[in-house]
Amino acid sequence: MAKFVTIGERIHCISPVIRKAMAERDPEPILKRAKEQLDAGATYLDVNIGPAESDGEDLMKWAVQLLQSNFDNVPLALDTANKKAIEAGISVYNRAKGKPIVNSADAGGRIENIDLAAANDAIVIALCSAEGIAADNDERMMHCQNMLERGLSLGMEPTDLWFDPLFLVVKGMQDKQMEVLEAIKMFSDMGLNSTGGLSNNSNGMPKHIRPIMDSALVAMAMMQGLTSAIVNPCDLRLMETIKSCDIFKNNTLYADSYLEI
Amino acid sequence: MPFNAKSGKFNASINVVEIGTGDKKIKIGGENVLPFYTFDAPVENAPKVGIEITDFGLEHEPDCVKKYYEGCATVVDMAKKAAEMEGVDFLSIRLEGGDPNGANKSTEELVQLVKEVAEAVDLPLVVCGSKNVEKDAELLAKAAEALDGKNAVLLSAREENYKAVGAAAGLAYKQLVGAESAVDINLAKQLNVLLTQLGVDGKSIVMNVGSAAAGYGFEYVVSTMDRIKAAALGQGDTTLQMPIITPVASEVWGVKEAIASEADMPEWGDQEERGIDMEVETAAAVLASGSNAVILKHPVSVATVSKMIKALM
Repeated sequence: MAKFVTIGERIHCISPVIRKAMAERDPEPILKRAKEQLDAGATYLDVNIGPAESDGEDLMKWAVQLLQSNFDNVPLALDTANKKAIEAGISVYNRAKGKPIVNSADAGGRIENIDLAAANDAIVIALCSAEGIAADNDERMMHCQNMLERGLSLGMEPTDLWFDPLFLVVKGMQDKQMEVLEAIKMFSDMGLNSTGGLSNNSNGMPKHIRPIMDSALVAMAMMQGLTSAIVNPCDLRLMETIKSCDIFKNNTLYADSYLEI
Repeated sequence: MPFNAKSGKFNASINVVEIGTGDKKIKIGGENVLPFYTFDAPVENAPKVGIEITDFGLEHEPDCVKKYYEGCATVVDMAKKAAEMEGVDFLSIRLEGGDPNGANKSTEELVQLVKEVAEAVDLPLVVCGSKNVEKDAELLAKAAEALDGKNAVLLSAREENYKAVGAAAGLAYKQLVGAESAVDINLAKQLNVLLTQLGVDGKSIVMNVGSAAAGYGFEYVVSTMDRIKAAALGQGDTTLQMPIITPVASEVWGVKEAIASEADMPEWGDQEERGIDMEVETAAAVLASGSNAVILKHPVSVATVSKMIKALM
């Protein structure tokens, strides 16, 4: 089995520093966050430029080239609602370290992002929801099937669709947590890859609690077969948990220094 | 449905390590397939064969090896003769006499010998220590200094002395560091991590992951090598992508099958033949499990294994 893929989430225009840097094309704050995440062990970096309706194409190209030229062609997840911006990003993307990830498609209004990924030989994150959160796993798996069939009909490898069950917030949806984990098991049993915004579970919890909840959930999800997650790699406890689970799953070979590499 | 053969080529590959300088330098590693799987992808650098001599010269060699060095008065003479033997890619000098529990020769004396050997032959050099970790820390560090510019392998840095050997060989004199572990895959990885954390370039490390004569716990050796190659290639584990050099002679020529005389063991047949068989079989097996180079002693073994490699490539 392959090593768990962590996608670092910290280059996000919701952060005022990053938003300002993106608007002004100021490399420093973005490179700083990229370096922190890579040093902490992220494999992919997510680049969220928001809706970016006006200058999305130019901005995404700039961000892709900035990050890949500074960090040895680091693989990236291109995260925006602007499809043209994703395409523009892919047009300048270097695949030496991995295919680009389109973040994201769903089974509703954003299903065409699967077509975009297929046309550009990219990976796509496929959210198992359409209009709102799936009511149960029957609905989740129906969305999964629909998106899988669409991808396959366009010539994609099934492993290039990374299914996102949608992690749900514990404070408010505590009774739905096991269902999400069961969905991951179903993806895994079908030989499919999976990912998701894992820290969503701990939204609204005190700061010192969140790493604990996130770590527990990632361990349970990896047991179910989760192959990737979009996380904050600078969360040391979480990264230590992921690395330890990779050992138990025989994804990486144990050495006493395994936490340092 | 027609049969479509799938290539077993991996996305990762073993590091290429260059040993020695000038016309005779060799390259090991570089493959992205299992050992000898040339049908999956070309293997650019064939495994290499080294010949071993020791600082004791002919003193401790079996009679059958002595006859090949007839007329050699010194270790340097032996080195010159060994370098000319058929199939030899590199020369390994083992400084057995440095062991404090044995002859306890001084570091100065042994390093002087290494220097003389290096001047006498133009083959790539591998310097093996005395197997005593404290002595080797000093001995191999001094040897690294004496061989400055020769791009030699210092075999080996172990868990107990990797700092001294790694710092001298890998950092100060830019030689190649042989990381040795005793048939323990986790330690093999750990040692590579420790050496790189020390600042040694991962591309200047070769591994000796341990060996044994065939039949002597050998299945552990094979499974260790198999799993190292699986992690290096299949999991893309960069901390295990170093090529492997396996000293075979020092294991084989100590077991009874190789050294019991025909007078003692008449039913076993000719002693020389047995020794060669043990050496060739062990070498063939470790090569098939992923060793990128082997170190042998008997000239017939060297020629045979070298011929086998050519036939399989």
